Amino acid sequence: MMAMRFLKRSVAAGRQPVTRSIAAALLLILPIAGCSGPQSALSPRGVEAFSIGPLFWTATWVGLVVTLIVVVLVAVALYGPERWRTWLGQDWIIIGGGIVFPVTVLSGLLVYGLLIMQAGAMRSAQVGLESITIRGKLWWWEVVYTTPEGEEIPSANELRLPVDRPVRLLLESDNVIHSFWAPQLGGKLDMIPGRTNELVVEATEAGVSRGQCAEYCGGAHALMSFFVVAMPQDEYDAWLASKAEGARAPATAEQERGQRLFLENGCGACHQVRGTEARGLIGPDLTHVGSRLSLAAAALPNDTKALMRWITDGQHIKPENRMPPFRQFSGGELSALAAYLSGLE
Amino acid sequence: MRRPLLPGRKGLFLALVIVLFAGLALGAVFIFSGVYNVAAARHHFDITNAVIRLTLRRSVKTHSLGIEPPAGLAEEALARLGARHYALGCEPCHASPASSRNPVVAEMYPAPPPLSEAVNHWQTEELFWIVKNGLKFTGMPSWPAPGHDEEVWALVAFLERLPNMDLKTYAELTGSTRTADFAFLQDMSVEGLAAMCGACHGDAQTAPVHPFAPPLHGQKPAYLRRALIEYAQNRRQSGIMEPIANELGTDVIEQLARFYSNASGAPMPSQTPPGSAALRRGEEIAEHGIRGSDIPACRSCHADSASGEFPRLDGLPAEYIAIQLRLFRDGVRASSTYAAIMAPIAQRLSEEQIEGVAAFFASQRPIAGEAAQR
Repeated sequence: MMAMRFLKRSVAAGRQPVTRSIAAALLLILPIAGCSGPQSALSPRGVEAFSIGPLFWTATWVGLVVTLIVVVLVAVALYGPERWRTWLGQDWIIIGGGIVFPVTVLSGLLVYGLLIMQAGAMRSAQVGLESITIRGKLWWWEVVYTTPEGEEIPSANELRLPVDRPVRLLLESDNVIHSFWAPQLGGKLDMIPGRTNELVVEATEAGVSRGQCAEYCGGAHALMSFFVVAMPQDEYDAWLASKAEGARAPATAEQERGQRLFLENGCGACHQVRGTEARGLIGPDLTHVGSRLSLAAAALPNDTKALMRWITDGQHIKPENRMPPFRQFSGGELSALAAYLSGLE
Repeated sequence: MRRPLLPGRKGLFLALVIVLFAGLALGAVFIFSGVYNVAAARHHFDITNAVIRLTLRRSVKTHSLGIEPPAGLAEEALARLGARHYALGCEPCHASPASSRNPVVAEMYPAPPPLSEAVNHWQTEELFWIVKNGLKFTGMPSWPAPGHDEEVWALVAFLERLPNMDLKTYAELTGSTRTADFAFLQDMSVEGLAAMCGACHGDAQTAPVHPFAPPLHGQKPAYLRRALIEYAQNRRQSGIMEPIANELGTDVIEQLARFYSNASGAPMPSQTPPGSAALRRGEEIAEHGIRGSDIPACRSCHADSASGEFPRLDGLPAEYIAIQLRLFRDGVRASSTYAAIMAPIAQRLSEEQIEGVAAFFASQRPIAGEAAQR
């Protein structure tokens, strides 16, 4: 009854300038232009993302239609002919449109959403899937593959997947809560300390997309991203086999000098380069760092210039990150280090 | 209507404004005319002097509230370390049982008091505050290493013993009857300099005077060179080492670094054995680090196979290692290239872990001689 009285009062009120509201509405549409590209949930490239897609579009379209109806009714209530306004003020319209309609529409959407989630849960319950462990770190991703022989292959900041083969992601954290979100693959799932959350994903086409930590996790949260590389199955298997091997030996004199500097300056305290004395487990595994698409959890491109910047000035690129600055190197030493690391493909 | 005898509120306000401006104008004339005599030869009026002294005394008293002397202040070893700095850094102005006050210094205004007597006027924490912070307009500098309070306490430990000290005790505490200042270091041979260093850092026969002054023998030369250069350039903080390193040329630093890397030293006096739990904790961090806390193994850098710029820690006194880790942690030692690496790691260590690591490295045997060459 309160609503009825309010509506009647609104109907009785005078006209308002509308141009400003239209401009505001247009501004709100602008961000939608950003909804494309490698991190867009609107261009699905995974089975899970495809099943979330219809849910998103259904909810969006239903919302749009309801909004339009409401806007039209409000316009009629404000500016319509007297006869229409009287008709709108009837009790059954208000009860029907204000209670029955929303309850029906929202319940329908809820059931629909639950059905889709149920399908997702069924997919997660599949047994015998190959799994990849992803641990949220401050502020990067540790990615551990397992070979068919059961050997664990540590890597970082990049998720490689076989196309058309479901993979179980085991999402963990040993520090704060992170959230794993690769929008083109599927929905997001939190990484909670002391728990292993499981997310099954299946890429539907080869290509590169991008993911992002979706739960604020401290200073450099916004710079905690990763690339997803979906590869044809045979290519993926060959890739995994090659990454199971230790690091490539330095090929040039400069790379050799770089390796010596790497080992002498304590880089191995935190970083592992399998096949060398560097066995640190605190920072990302660098055994094949040269073959990755990005550095520092997609904060930098992977080239020698960025490597040199990261070693000396990482705190400016990614404030508060856990790696101290190493500024003791001369220009030549830095290039040698970068050459060595780039060569670790 | 009769005019009132007394000025009204308005008149009173006007009078105040006039007096204020007249005062300001007089002050301006006083300053800009230059009639005030700033000569040190022309002393303050007695009343001015009394006010200044009262202000100083009250200021020191208030500002030193809440300062707690450390537990080991009465230790003679600490006083010895302080005495050695006093002989180089303080005696030239403040005299000592071995020397009366320099007549030139005596004409400073205010003149630095001969401390053998003046120390009696101050409480322990007041002495600490003065040495640490200096005194405005007196020529008394603040401690050159802000935040390195342990050094200041070493000096205070000596000052506490200074009143009525006889020459023999003074010579014994400072390790020399010779009085000097830093400048004479410039003219010394490497052997002479090493003897000077040895007064605190020990030599083949004697252990270091106090654990705060680490033994240098068998240390990596590149690290020793870097440490002296960082002291000289004010990138590493020490009120004791900075003025010494400042007088040393690069070639002398090079020779000293080589001398010490080859030298063998006396063993450290046996330290109170730490609990085995602390040792184990320290060993775990030193050898393996703590992955969950992002603490890398100390040995990744502090090993003979690593760069010569990383110091060797084996056999260093636990107190020294612990103090340095706290200086790293608290940002006192953070401005040099290498300190910037160590500081964030030290911040991840708890007090217990610092003590464990320090105890572990202190329990390791130092490597001397050729093995030290890198």
